[in-house]
Amino acid sequence: MSRVALLVLVHGSPRPTANEEMFKVVERVRIRNLYPIVQVGFLECNEPDIAKAIDLCVEQGATEIRAVPYFLHTGTHVAQDLPELLEAGGKRHPQTTFLLGDFLGRSRHLTDILAERTRSTECP
Amino acid sequence: MTGVILFAHGSLLCGAGQSLLAHAQRLREMGIAPIVEVGYLNYSEPRFLAAVARCAEQGATHIIVTPYFLIPGKFVSIDLPKAVAEAQSKFPALDYTVVPALGFDERLADALITSANGARPSEAWGEALEESVAFCRALPECPLYATVACPHKPERTEAIA
Repeated sequence: MSRVALLVLVHGSPRPTANEEMFKVVERVRIRNLYPIVQVGFLECNEPDIAKAIDLCVEQGATEIRAVPYFLHTGTHVAQDLPELLEAGGKRHPQTTFLLGDFLGRSRHLTDILAERTRSTECP
Repeated sequence: MTGVILFAHGSLLCGAGQSLLAHAQRLREMGIAPIVEVGYLNYSEPRFLAAVARCAEQGATHIIVTPYFLIPGKFVSIDLPKAVAEAQSKFPALDYTVVPALGFDERLADALITSANGARPSEAWGEALEESVAFCRALPECPLYATVACPHKPERTEAIA
């Protein structure tokens, strides 16, 4: 039976408060119960790192990992570092299917949020 | 007349700004304001001040700065007010309003789920890099410059030949 994990790939920050809103968003994903496993992994600064997060997904029984970069831009992290980390995960866990989604910044939902933030000045 | 400036960090990687330009274009199509521009803090053009100048040239009297940042970190809380102060001194006739960063929003959860639903196998993972190359600015500072991915590297032609 397949068991799919949604793995959120996050940059990480030395400031403890920097991840609070991301964790709130991930909690909203979790409570929708669309993915039996929802896991966060950090590129830098915070734990678990992405390699560990991949291992945690597999430990929780993931047969397929769908990774989504929580990034706004196609920087070198999105274009190079994250695919390399997933490939390394695939070598450690050859029985697991690894898929990579678009980075967050590509989503049209963000246009709607930007529009709402912009309009927030009109009706104070 | 209102000019909206989407304020972003900027990147040395060619093509890194394409997703932001797509948001700007969609905001124009939505008619969010008569003027929608993008302005960068670092690396990419136009810089924030140049974006304000563009708005002024088009007749803007009021600038709304919308940060394209996930959180109100240092760039939004320190660097952006500095950039706005500089713009105020250069263009004192304009009014400036800064609105909040993306922060928390239920639609970010929608975005994560939509992306996960459309996730693809490793054959497609190089597309972000290929797309970046398509917008090559041949900047020596670009992380791709003089690598095999950079179209402006003579060795690449040799490697293919």
